[in-house]
Amino acid sequence: MTTGAYISGAGHLFMMLWVLLGGVIFRAPPPNVVSTAEVSLISPEAYAELAALPEPESTQDIATPSAPDLSDSPTVPDAALSPQSPAPRPEIAEPADAEDVPEPPELDVPAAEVDDVAPSPPAAPDTSDQVALLAPVAQPEAPRSAPRVAPVPAPAPPPLAEEAPELSPGVTETPEAREEEPVVEEQPAAAPPEATTEIVTEAEDEGQAFAPRTSIRPRQRPPRQVLEATRTPTDPEPEASDNLSAAIAGALAEAATTPEPTAPSRPLGPPLTQGEKDTLRVAVQRCWNVGSLSTEALRTTVVVAVSMLPDGKPDNGTIRMLSSDGSQAATSQAFEAARRAVIRCGLNGYDLPADKYEQWRDIEMTFNPENMRIK
Amino acid sequence: MNWLRLTCLALLGLTLLPASGTAQSGPLRIEITEGVIEPLPIAVPNFVAETPQASDLARRISQVVADDLRRTGLFRTIDDSAFIARVTNFDAPVSYPDWRAINAQALVTGSVRQSGGRLDVRFRLYDVFAQAPLGDGLQFGGGTDSWRRIAHKVADAAYSRITGEDGYFDSRVVFVSETGPKGQRLKRLAVMDYDGANAAFLSDGSALVLAPRFSPQGDRILYTSYETGLPRIYLLDVNSMRRRLLNEQSGTMTFAPRFGPDGDTVVYSASTGGNTDLFSLSLRSGRQQRLTSDPSIETAPSFSPDGSQIVFESDRSGSQQLYIMSASGGEARRISFGAGRYGTPVWSPRGDLIAFTKQNQGRFHIGVMRTDGSEERLLTASFLDEGPTWAPNGRVIMFTRETAGASGAPALYSVDISGRNLQRVATPVAASAPAWSPLLP
Amino acid sequence: MADLRKLGLVLVLLAVAGCTDRFGGGGSDGAGGAGAIGGLGSPSDVTSPAYFQQTIGDRVLFEVDQSTLGEGARVTLDGQARWLLDNPEYAARIEGHADERGTTEYNIALGARRANAVQEYLFAQGVSINRLQTVSFGKERPLEICSDESCYSQNRRAVTVLTAGAGS
Repeated sequence: MTTGAYISGAGHLFMMLWVLLGGVIFRAPPPNVVSTAEVSLISPEAYAELAALPEPESTQDIATPSAPDLSDSPTVPDAALSPQSPAPRPEIAEPADAEDVPEPPELDVPAAEVDDVAPSPPAAPDTSDQVALLAPVAQPEAPRSAPRVAPVPAPAPPPLAEEAPELSPGVTETPEAREEEPVVEEQPAAAPPEATTEIVTEAEDEGQAFAPRTSIRPRQRPPRQVLEATRTPTDPEPEASDNLSAAIAGALAEAATTPEPTAPSRPLGPPLTQGEKDTLRVAVQRCWNVGSLSTEALRTTVVVAVSMLPDGKPDNGTIRMLSSDGSQAATSQAFEAARRAVIRCGLNGYDLPADKYEQWRDIEMTFNPENMRIK
Repeated sequence: MNWLRLTCLALLGLTLLPASGTAQSGPLRIEITEGVIEPLPIAVPNFVAETPQASDLARRISQVVADDLRRTGLFRTIDDSAFIARVTNFDAPVSYPDWRAINAQALVTGSVRQSGGRLDVRFRLYDVFAQAPLGDGLQFGGGTDSWRRIAHKVADAAYSRITGEDGYFDSRVVFVSETGPKGQRLKRLAVMDYDGANAAFLSDGSALVLAPRFSPQGDRILYTSYETGLPRIYLLDVNSMRRRLLNEQSGTMTFAPRFGPDGDTVVYSASTGGNTDLFSLSLRSGRQQRLTSDPSIETAPSFSPDGSQIVFESDRSGSQQLYIMSASGGEARRISFGAGRYGTPVWSPRGDLIAFTKQNQGRFHIGVMRTDGSEERLLTASFLDEGPTWAPNGRVIMFTRETAGASGAPALYSVDISGRNLQRVATPVAASAPAWSPLLP
Repeated sequence: MADLRKLGLVLVLLAVAGCTDRFGGGGSDGAGGAGAIGGLGSPSDVTSPAYFQQTIGDRVLFEVDQSTLGEGARVTLDGQARWLLDNPEYAARIEGHADERGTTEYNIALGARRANAVQEYLFAQGVSINRLQTVSFGKERPLEICSDESCYSQNRRAVTVLTAGAGS
């Protein structure tokens, strides 16, 4: 026995006590102190009562913009007007004589409806020589334009394949995962909607022919799945593993003897492997749609807690926000997007090992949109 | 020593456990950093008509709401034919599973009551998967001829509640309508709802007009007209249609007028002896102030939202570039340094970005950069894109796109500041030089 | 002698024909008809506006984004100055223009520079500044409407439009 061993033992003992008791002393604030969207939610019944009041506060009277009273003058020719406005137009009119109204026939008059489809960008001029000069670095993965931006690009679906409303569970997210888990390929999966990995603006689409693009960061490689790692005989620490797990099991047995109000009634099971966690992470991010978030909400990271049911489905009523680094408004939208992700992709239950239920009964998910902001 | 090693391992194991092992007291933690960006599926079933004669307006109002949301590119409206549930009673509980089955993630319901010339519209927004209302229900009232504005208000509220951005649908756009051959364009001031509806002319076309701008209150318009033979700036009161010439000086051309956020200060360019500089003018007091005195071209000014600074373009460096100076003039600092020429800077209503026109290698772009010139991002590219204007919420930019050639014509386009959702804006005639109003009260 | 005079007439006619071709029938660009004089007279009459417009040449052209006068432009302006000095009953409005490859307001300013360059040159040749107004139309009134350099070069111009007697 050396002094060093005593010091080490004392240190470890302190750490152990800190771990066991620290939770009591430094308990995180209860989750419900964070005010979230719920505070402003009211039940339909409550709303009905509100709405039944003679003058709800929210009533706004809206008038058409007051307009000049120059009724003798013509407005835009009726034929050219949007068909959606049969009602009398606002009275804004010109002071001119009717005879002065010009005829627009010589012009190519644009159709009076919003064209949803952006015009295809003009063909880039042939500047292959310049490309060689300006952008000598090959860009193997120039993102395409696509209506969907996702972590993993998906090709445009073949003409006959319908776009699945969302990814079916049979589709894994990464090619690597597919190689290691061929079994999931058994069910024919609907094609995922076409997706690109970044927003490609018209200028960037075209710019690829012109100049080096400096603003686009390289895409992160999806983390490789290591689902089987712990089950393989080639354990990274072969000599210590048996002893270590035995020691841990012993320690746990000791820990279980200490009074613990929420002690589980069933075996804890081993911790989730990285691969199992990744599967869950990938499953949630498939449904995490930040496309309709404000720019401010896209700068807001929220931590969301959810309790899971044994069948792998989230207990939707337990989804709550633990913390956020954004303003209240942005937090509310960020939380709602996160909640939608958890619920939507958990409709059929997440793929989690049932024997480790106690390990994933309570989950805290941090939704950090930093990577999505720049796409 | 083996037992000591084991003890240490056990202790070590204990200290490591809280991170992974004690699930009963510490939850499983994962971090989500990758998501998807796609339009949110939303269902907007026809609003419920609470009075018999309201059914037509109920249908049209819900259509405008759906169009507004879809046009943002942030939503995908689900076709009525897919609906399983019908909303026939505004106050009845929502059948969430029926909406979930068609993957509607949000649901807008509404009711319309029409009596006499009076219209009252109620609406609610629901998160289908969370099975909960999103925010309070709202009620809007007005005359029946305001039905489009009411619909835009409803859409603004829904958009705002889901995205967290302020809305922008209940707004107008002043622009220049263009008719006639390219060499002899007839240009008239015109105004329309942001979506192209309710268009009306504000001038008769007898004189060339350029680049109108709304006042911060939306009640007046500044523009340039060649009425006197020279380009001169005018102020038009939208309510009375009265207009007046500002600052007539013999032989001086004035153009590019813009309101300051106080609604009183106007900055503009004046050109004498071939030199163009920036000046400011108080509408109330008539007091004028010279802001720049360089032999170069200074034009296309735009106030910061707080009124303290002005961004403008100048070719003092030898080519068109962007500069920022104090609203009272003085030293200016250049903020654009990329390749090509930069013009028509417009400060975002949020204050964080400046939109501009960029000309490079024979192409025109609309782009945005931060106010220090960093993070430049080009959003569009074409033969001729020009003159960005911000939606009141600073999320969308509208601009002019003109096609090439003898039959070339201008049209209005809009684009999200992410560069997505480029689309043509409906206008009854060829149009250019749009300027967005503030959100209407 | 009669032959010589005939030859001279033919030469004048040829020159006029060439000018007419080049300028597409003459007349002001229509940028601002207001104030421009009506009867042009005959291009062979040295005191007529038609002579000024077609024989001397009423416009000068500029390089891209420039307002400096080239050698050819100065020759044209020398002729304009002499004509204006010889015909004091006329005044002139100088219209500056730009091609469409620029933004609207910048091009107004650029056209103002071009008009001013002509004004200063004529003034330096002795024409009273009171007779020389300037106005810029930017890219609003292109003379040629195609979208390539052949048209752009014709649109980067300053046109001296004669007006009735303002400065006489």
